[in-house]
Amino acid sequence: MTLPANLPPQPPELDLEELKKAAECVLLVSSAPVTVEHLVAALGTTPQIVHALVWELQQDYAGRGLQIQSLAGGFQLCTRPELAPYIQRFLQLDHREPLSRAALETLAIVAYRQPTTRAEVEAVRGVRSEHVLERLLERHLIREVGRKAALGRPILYGTTEGFLRYFGLKNLHDLPILESGDPRQALVAPTMQSSTAPE
Amino acid sequence: MAGPAGVWLLVLLTEARAISYTVKLPQFEGPLDLLLSLVQQGQVDLREVPLGRIAEDYLAAARTQLDLEEATEVLWMLAALIEMKSRLLVPKPTTPEEPLPEPEEPFDLNERLEEKLEEYRAFKEVATALRALEDYQHRVFARPETDDPNAVFLEGVSLDDLFRAFQQVLERAKDEVGEIPTEEVKVAERMEAILDLLGQHREGVLFSDLFKASATKLNVIVTFLALLELIKNRRIRAQQPQRFAAIRLMLVTA
Repeated sequence: MTLPANLPPQPPELDLEELKKAAECVLLVSSAPVTVEHLVAALGTTPQIVHALVWELQQDYAGRGLQIQSLAGGFQLCTRPELAPYIQRFLQLDHREPLSRAALETLAIVAYRQPTTRAEVEAVRGVRSEHVLERLLERHLIREVGRKAALGRPILYGTTEGFLRYFGLKNLHDLPILESGDPRQALVAPTMQSSTAPE
Repeated sequence: MAGPAGVWLLVLLTEARAISYTVKLPQFEGPLDLLLSLVQQGQVDLREVPLGRIAEDYLAAARTQLDLEEATEVLWMLAALIEMKSRLLVPKPTTPEEPLPEPEEPFDLNERLEEKLEEYRAFKEVATALRALEDYQHRVFARPETDDPNAVFLEGVSLDDLFRAFQQVLERAKDEVGEIPTEEVKVAERMEAILDLLGQHREGVLFSDLFKASATKLNVIVTFLALLELIKNRRIRAQQPQRFAAIRLMLVTA
């Protein structure tokens, strides 16, 4: 590849070490996962370099109390789970209340079948799920994403970014895959299948 | 079909992690939803299961501790069991002549039931995987979110504190000899001015700095009204690290 004659003035040589430190600082001050785009804007560099910097930082944090999680489409500096007792003592937090079994099942169905309706959730669970769905809405783990073009125009539910953060998932493709049978087939609704499943 | 002993062993093994209501009977011990699915699979003879006793036991337990969600599920599952049992107990009409080959419907029904069960099991498996992720993530901490819309905007500051600070400022303004100001002071203007000032001092401004030493009483009052308005509108935040400490005002960043 030949370089064009009139190159714009070259930027001063990239100081990758400094950029890495800067990326670390950005992650420190943010209370939410920082997206690659935000890091690109903050550091004035390319997505490739951002990925490389974060990867290096992740290696640097091996053996430290902190880690950089890749979740909800971004990166977040956070503590390691084995140190939780100390943090809980410091923050005077009790053990965080886990979701009820019913809530977790319902959430699983919404996550894999989204967008989905209450009736569809109830068809799988075999029990009324109105109350559980309401609780999940209150906790911002699911949200209304529209209405189904069907009789009664029922509300369609989908998961939120908070859902990804709650479970530490990068994105919806990061949802656990089942080992038994042909899970994706059974779990992924036709609408999602066309856009996400590779086959 | 697995023998009852085998089934009950399975029941006991699965029981450990079940959260649903646990049935304790001589014939069956385990979560109610498991009983339901075992009955549906034909692995437990419903005629041996005293549903009335399950209901009585549950009602007794619910009297001391009632979880509405659980109660709903138990009610539904018991209703389903009662319906199935009643079908079992009602004598089937004796078929005349040769037994007709059962129409296709029950076969389809079983298949559909099996399919549903399979689907439900798949989601239970996913739920278990999600539970593990939840458990991990619950032990991970990040910087807490700030400026969220539900945050308390008067951190550690009571209305009393605000008024006490206001009185102090008024006290200071009292020394000025009363003179009716020629220009009017408008709340809206003072609001603008406060926002401007806080915009220049992102780290915050002390409450007392808001009221210049030379301020007239009217000016102080109007400024205070403007301040209350801004706090009410969630444009600014007032913080007081401890009681009687200086109150710091800050711009709320969107």
